[in-house]
Amino acid sequence: MQFFLQVALSGIATGAIYGLIAVGYSLTFMTTKVLNFALGMWVMIGGMLTYSLIARMGLSPILALPVVMVSLFVLGVVAERVSVYPFLRAGSDVWVMSTLAVGLLFIDFAELIWGRSPTPVPSYVGSEPLRIGPIVMLPQQILILGTAILLFLLLEYFYRRTLLGKAFRAVAHSAETASLMGINSRLIQLTSYAVAASLAGLAGFMVVPLTLAEPQLGTVLGLKAFAIAIIAGLGAPGGILLSGLAYGALEGLISGYLNTGLRDILGFSLMILVLFIRPEGLFSKVQAERA
Amino acid sequence: MAKITRRTALAAFGSAITTPMLRLPAFAQFGPIRIGYAGALTGPAAFTGVDIRRGGELAIADINSRGGIKGRMLELVARDDEHNPVRTVAQYRELVEREGVVAMLGATNSASMLAVAPIVNDTLKVPVIMPATDATAITENEAAKAGRDNFLFRVGMYGTGQGNFMVDTAVKKLGFTKIGLLNWTGGWGVTGRGELNRRLRELGLTPVADETFDSSDTDMTPQLIKLKNAGAQCILNYALVRENTFVVQTKQKLGDTTPYISGWGIAGPAFWVAAGKAAEGVLTSSTITIDGPQSPERLALLQKYQTTFKAPMEAPYSVFGAYDAIFLFAEVMSRDGIDPAAIRKGLENVPTFKGLVKQYDRPVFTKDRHNALTEDDMIMCRWTEGKLLEITYDAGKPTVATDVRTRRTLDPTDLHLL
Amino acid sequence: MSRRSLRLLCVMSVAALLLAPQLLGGTYYIFLLIIIFIFSIAAIGLNILGGHGGQFSLGHAALMAMGAYVSTIVSQALFSLPFFAASGLHVWIGLIVGTTVGAATGAALAYPALRVRGPYLAMVTVAFGWVVWKILQEWVSVTGGDLGIASIPKPQIGAWVLDTRHFYYIVLLLFIVSLGLQHWLMSSPIGLRIRAVKHSEIGLASVGVNVYRLKVWMFIISAAFAGCAGALFAIQQNYISPDNFQFFSSVFLLLAILFGGPGTFLGPVVGIAILTLLPEFLHDFDRYRLIVYGGFILVTLYFLPRGVMGPIESRLRPGVAPRSGCVVPVSGRLGIAGLAVKLEQISLNFGGLKALSRVDISLASGEVHAVIGPNGAGKTTLVNVLTGFYQPSEGRVLIDGQPRALTSLHASARLGLARTFQTIKLFGDMSVLDHVVIGLPAGYENPADEADGLIDFVGLSAFRDSPASSLAYGHRRLLEIARALATRPRLLLLDEPAAGLVQEEIAKLIDLIHTLRHSGITILLIEHHMDLVMAVSNRITVLNYGNVIARGTPTDIQGNAQVVEAYLGPSHVHA
Repeated sequence: MQFFLQVALSGIATGAIYGLIAVGYSLTFMTTKVLNFALGMWVMIGGMLTYSLIARMGLSPILALPVVMVSLFVLGVVAERVSVYPFLRAGSDVWVMSTLAVGLLFIDFAELIWGRSPTPVPSYVGSEPLRIGPIVMLPQQILILGTAILLFLLLEYFYRRTLLGKAFRAVAHSAETASLMGINSRLIQLTSYAVAASLAGLAGFMVVPLTLAEPQLGTVLGLKAFAIAIIAGLGAPGGILLSGLAYGALEGLISGYLNTGLRDILGFSLMILVLFIRPEGLFSKVQAERA
Repeated sequence: MAKITRRTALAAFGSAITTPMLRLPAFAQFGPIRIGYAGALTGPAAFTGVDIRRGGELAIADINSRGGIKGRMLELVARDDEHNPVRTVAQYRELVEREGVVAMLGATNSASMLAVAPIVNDTLKVPVIMPATDATAITENEAAKAGRDNFLFRVGMYGTGQGNFMVDTAVKKLGFTKIGLLNWTGGWGVTGRGELNRRLRELGLTPVADETFDSSDTDMTPQLIKLKNAGAQCILNYALVRENTFVVQTKQKLGDTTPYISGWGIAGPAFWVAAGKAAEGVLTSSTITIDGPQSPERLALLQKYQTTFKAPMEAPYSVFGAYDAIFLFAEVMSRDGIDPAAIRKGLENVPTFKGLVKQYDRPVFTKDRHNALTEDDMIMCRWTEGKLLEITYDAGKPTVATDVRTRRTLDPTDLHLL
Repeated sequence: MSRRSLRLLCVMSVAALLLAPQLLGGTYYIFLLIIIFIFSIAAIGLNILGGHGGQFSLGHAALMAMGAYVSTIVSQALFSLPFFAASGLHVWIGLIVGTTVGAATGAALAYPALRVRGPYLAMVTVAFGWVVWKILQEWVSVTGGDLGIASIPKPQIGAWVLDTRHFYYIVLLLFIVSLGLQHWLMSSPIGLRIRAVKHSEIGLASVGVNVYRLKVWMFIISAAFAGCAGALFAIQQNYISPDNFQFFSSVFLLLAILFGGPGTFLGPVVGIAILTLLPEFLHDFDRYRLIVYGGFILVTLYFLPRGVMGPIESRLRPGVAPRSGCVVPVSGRLGIAGLAVKLEQISLNFGGLKALSRVDISLASGEVHAVIGPNGAGKTTLVNVLTGFYQPSEGRVLIDGQPRALTSLHASARLGLARTFQTIKLFGDMSVLDHVVIGLPAGYENPADEADGLIDFVGLSAFRDSPASSLAYGHRRLLEIARALATRPRLLLLDEPAAGLVQEEIAKLIDLIHTLRHSGITILLIEHHMDLVMAVSNRITVLNYGNVIARGTPTDIQGNAQVVEAYLGPSHVHA
């Protein structure tokens, strides 16, 4: 039983990261029907920037976080203008390649700036393991879980209660109609892309003390986060976080009871299965664009 | 457009043909003697790869300052293979056929060398001395087994010996019977796992658990718990710095103090940089350590490295190994000439050699033995407060010298300092 | 460039390639050429799927891996048997099995993957690539894990073991065969459909093509190419490991196509050649590889959307075959028994919204029946139900007296229902002629002649060879109608054909519909334009909020107070 809880909980903490990143996918997809295909690379940039600020320049985490999030926001604005907006009207799926291209550029620039060797970042809340009964968790893992839940609550509040949130949802439904209603659809699209980038920065900031900071950090994370966004449904942020936690727990259990090697195989097969059976996702109420 | 095309096409064609010709061996007597190297100069394995190149360059600088080989200077031509066998193969071809190298330093990735070995033996036919890759099958390759000329040589750790050494240390020297395995699924981990299992079998033992992890794993909790539940008294491992960092960090998180013995992938300062205090108490096999008393020759090289590169060594065994490799080549070239086949033959006939890794008072290589080192040349070290200290046995008990005057014994169960 | 110089260029190129091993010393350049040919084979396959057909796959490296590993395992297994070791067949059998397994894996992946489109498809293929890579790493006993498989059997024929220079010819041959297959496929009727898929799947389905099945076949074909390339790669390299087949290899393939020219003949080859040679000639390239890839992608998307070969091949392309003298005018040919269709109690709900409520409509064979009503009344929904796009929540459809389950657009097209769309769905820049030819059922000896007849019928002969995207709006509508007619429909659904047309064009449309009516086709017309409706209809049904509120002849409807109220509001009703 202890083993079960231990591996499941360790997995849930990782799953919180996936969920944090996956929310970024849904945010842009909902407003533009476009998503940042290389979101994982953005997480990596957030992580590398965090490393520079905290480990190299000695900034405290509390100061570093806003710097990271704002930098990624600005970067997101630039990237949207350069690699997304020009291709929105083409009607085709060219933006898949353009956002991917930006991701590739990020990896190489990161390697040139920070080198390719992985480097450690000290934990923000100390590295003494916390004992919760028979279970051991790192304080950083608890921090991540807390952040994810807080973010989820904030997003829910934003979408349902605030005017801006409702504007977001309107644009998600139909950008043209929303602009007829006086909502600046273009601005909202741009903002949602930049906010998603900012959240990716947050995810990177959170995750690097657990892993090492390295340019290849984001590739797998981005892929798994996408799998979760698919499983939950790109239009359902609440379900995404939940799916992330569940997926993480599942990964932990598979590693623990079967074999680590099977973990990714089963996870991605699950995603393909969901795509086959219910392409709009398990939590979504929207009908997906069927082939 | 049609008119320009023909002329420029001919010009391009012509230059494409003549340029490589200038590199052919026929023209080579007018230039420096070129030694090639393709290894990881970027990426997680770069700490080894860059040090190989640096060791080679230091050796070449030394030889050139003494007049080179019969008046001709040596030159190292290096390529970054990114630890990727696909690139290594292409770069070997390019270095031999286009750059005209007559000898090579081995790569950083065992998988690269396994890929390249048949091509070297069958087509390229230049001798290669490897300071870093230990997979046994590289030197014990098809050509060797068929009795043909074997161009692959090794001055570093070699697989079979290391596997024996690690298991024997755990079982015979430290007295553990319940051995657990925790290996990386990456290239080197695959061969390593094979070697460990083989040796355990030879000793009549079976591992209590045989766990693996891959490059995307950052949390080894499930594996470590399973090893604990299986009753492992000691864990044996093959992985590089990056992966092992995650392992020891997880170990620390879980409060797991099971003795952990790793292969020489983490025998360089890079490991302590990455893992920090979590690395405390980890054992690793190695050929050398630069912490503790050193010979004057090694001290001289350490000094020269510091002044030339203004940075600490990250993989000392690579530096020394590459240094020795170049000097071995130089010795044979002075004696037998620079034809690659002659160099190869000559390497099998070096009766003694004062190397930095080891002082050889027996032939470095023989026709049947292309590994310079044996198990007797290996040492087991312990990461202690940032230093890699050699373990010596005092009346059967393992001890380390924490400073010039103090020797501390290791606890028999979890190897902490007593 | 004239046809003669083009042919001369081809011959010279082939000659140069044949002589290359003699001209180039050493094995290095031959090795490079072999690698270029091998990856070109994979790229050509991917070009058929993605370049011509518009379906982006980012997992083709994994399909190459399947070909490489399976062929190696088979070849090594057979090599242990003396018969094979002597005859050398093990290598070639391995090659064939590798190609086949590559195709089979493509099929297995295509079935779920092609249920979705665009980014979903891309991500699924990425995930697939990841899964395959993981399996290669984990299944150590079969694949050798991360260390891979070495000592792959060298190619041999009988007792003769081929060295690099001789294997070059084998690879060159397969490369030329691949180019030939691409050319043959894309010049065939299937090729037209593949190109149409990229532009409008719905448009293609509306002429009776099972688009899903077409896409699956495209995928399988591209997978076969990839599998073959993978097997050749294994033979050439003598060693394979998971490192050869990572995500970035798939990106490399796709980039080669984008950059070389998606949907062109030589684009994949040019792309592969440049991307392969670049790192060889720029040594520090490795440090900047991903920057170069990323930069290339963006530059291509901005400045070279058709790739390097796009503009070049357009200019080189031989002209479209001119009209023959044997065009048969259409009117005499369309004598068809129009369908009699009955919609009984059709209801359709979208969540809480009742789009259609117990709608009864009866279409007699050969009549022109208009369905009118204010916006949002459910007219287009009705058409979508009739053509299988939506399934009704209640009710049934009877065709010629038989109840029919209309499951999809292409199935209903096969039953004889053709339609045009409110938002015109044409195939991009494909020519007018191609559009109509695609609609034709198989079996015509001279499809171009049949198509020309239809093109004359709608009055577009002046634009026969023009790209559809260059047509004026009104002409595009006519093209859609011509395309629909090409399927020899027995019921033609026109969804707001007059929208956006000027007075003259509407007059022409009225003539067209009159002529069609005389040929016997049943016509269902959804329309707002009252003049048109009144001029051509036999009977009219009026919908409002999903309900039928009136039926009758044009005169009946004009005088119906309820209809006027529905359109103009209560205050406008006057008896």
